[in-house]
Amino acid sequence: MNPRKRSLVSHVLALPSALWMLGALVIPTLFIVWVSFWTTRTFSLESPLGLLNYTKFFNRPTYVKLLADTVQQSLLLMAITVVLGYAIAYFVVMKVRQPALQLGLFLALVIPFWTSVLIRTIAWIPFLGVTGVINQALLFLRVVDEPVSVFLYSRTGITLAQVSFYTLLATGPVVYTLRNIPPSLPEAARSLKATPLRVFWRITVPLTLPGILIGQILVFLNVMADFATASAIGGNKHAFLGNIVILLYDSGQLPFASVIAVLLMLCMLGGVAALLKVVDIRRLGVP
Amino acid sequence: MADHDLELKRVTKRFGSFVAVRDLSLAVEHGQFVCLLGPSGCGKTTTLRVIAGLEDADEGEVWISGVRMNDVPPWKRDIAMMFQDFALFPHMTVRKQVGFGLEMLGRPKEEIRRRVGETLATFEISPLAERKPDTLSGGQKQRVALARALITQPRILLLDEPIGSLDFSLREAVMLELKDVQRRLGVTFIWVTHDQNEALALGDRVVVMNHARIEQVGTPEAIFERPLTRFVASFIQGNNVFEGVVESVEGDCVRIRTPVGSFAVPPRDGGPPPPGANVSFSVRAALLTERPGPEQANRLPATCHAVEYLGSIRRYDLRLEDRRSIKYEQFGAQAARIREGEVVTLGWQVEDGILHAPPEGAG
Repeated sequence: MNPRKRSLVSHVLALPSALWMLGALVIPTLFIVWVSFWTTRTFSLESPLGLLNYTKFFNRPTYVKLLADTVQQSLLLMAITVVLGYAIAYFVVMKVRQPALQLGLFLALVIPFWTSVLIRTIAWIPFLGVTGVINQALLFLRVVDEPVSVFLYSRTGITLAQVSFYTLLATGPVVYTLRNIPPSLPEAARSLKATPLRVFWRITVPLTLPGILIGQILVFLNVMADFATASAIGGNKHAFLGNIVILLYDSGQLPFASVIAVLLMLCMLGGVAALLKVVDIRRLGVP
Repeated sequence: MADHDLELKRVTKRFGSFVAVRDLSLAVEHGQFVCLLGPSGCGKTTTLRVIAGLEDADEGEVWISGVRMNDVPPWKRDIAMMFQDFALFPHMTVRKQVGFGLEMLGRPKEEIRRRVGETLATFEISPLAERKPDTLSGGQKQRVALARALITQPRILLLDEPIGSLDFSLREAVMLELKDVQRRLGVTFIWVTHDQNEALALGDRVVVMNHARIEQVGTPEAIFERPLTRFVASFIQGNNVFEGVVESVEGDCVRIRTPVGSFAVPPRDGGPPPPGANVSFSVRAALLTERPGPEQANRLPATCHAVEYLGSIRRYDLRLEDRRSIKYEQFGAQAARIREGEVVTLGWQVEDGILHAPPEGAG
């Protein structure tokens, strides 16, 4: 089969998924962008277009602060999960030698994710409350004299829950890239006078950079889009951009909800583009 | 003892219940080229890794340059290692790669730059300096790996099947080059291989291993001409091995009864075995003749099965009465002496037979 013919066949084979992507993703996204320029408050296909909603967003410090809060929360989660996720991946792949134990630990990480995100979020509430598990443990250990309320309905609580949800996303790709490092590479480095710490920073980390990066993209996107954790654990007191989209949608303000959705998407695109500048992920799996 | 670059004293290494190296002792003098030769799984690579410190010995001691190394980590040992897959760092250019060892030793930048430049020139890889490993050919990778290992001027270089992954056509040239480098720099080489041609061609000393033990240590000539054990005789090509029972001992001659006849063999150093003992002996295929005269007291009939012409030698595969195979070699330059299907009488002189030591642990 000549290359031209093969490429024709591959195009035909790609057609169904391309059509699906077009109908389910591209067109709705373009629709949201279009709606964001509507100048009428409610749903109307005849609405004149303009920047009214965008100026409204940027003229209100509350909204701009929400945007900053959302980005800040993503950066915080990235900072925590990159360390935690890497440590877990390194431990499971490099330190646990028995394959059975390795598999067991990995399952223990993954199994909680077989339940829905909603259940997992709600499951945190008994932990975080004033009479919750964390407070009881602190009381028992005499770290505090009376229950503290910093966990539930607080940014700390949201962060705790999000760390538990998203660390796995930062772990998985690192596990994959760590497994792909031939054992002879760190050994060669050791025989070339590198201490274990230097082997880690000069050999292991650079070779797992694509995995770190993919994990961080996943964490970034998920935290940016997360509204469920904030509403369940943050109560009414804390919100990120995602929550505002829901709020505005519920109250029928489609154009303004679209503005926020568009800004959210732009932030995500910008973030992913910036991360991809760091490493060429097409080299993933080629140590 | 200070003369020894390396000394292994009764080293044992286990992986679970599997014994990879058993009670192994070996002393290597400075500047020697030592080849560890044996089939896969014989423990030669594990021995190398114990020397490097990549594995800890369960029992016994490892001494390098007169210092006990058991608890010294690999990065503090005066060794370098070359891996079969070369283990080049995929994210570093050749220049960075070769300078890695000096960088880890904390040498000044200026010195690293200068010495890397010199080393790249020495190994004729200067044009590759800015390339990454995945753009290099097998032979180029091999040179980079060697340059990277030798730049820190280690006392001992450990090489794990260093040319095993190269194309066959490249091997001979690389072998000679490595031997030349070793001679020029005076570095002690410990070279692991399963290829007897490599070991015999390169080694000052060859250590033949099997089943976690050393079978024989000696010069290539000694290994080739006087195999100490049945294993060495059968592992090294060109030996015919016979098994039998000692019939009698008459002066300078042990008579051994085998399924294909009774043969006379000179006793080993250290005295003849007692009558009735199970023994083995070997005779080199090149020392047989198909026209035995009065000198060739040992004789047996055989039928020619196949003839292999290998250029420098012509090898005959003959079958004995009990269908077992026996090899006979003559110079390739001479005209063929036996045709396929021909029945001949092979013979050899008594002193060409080599009686083997009994297997260790069987005594």
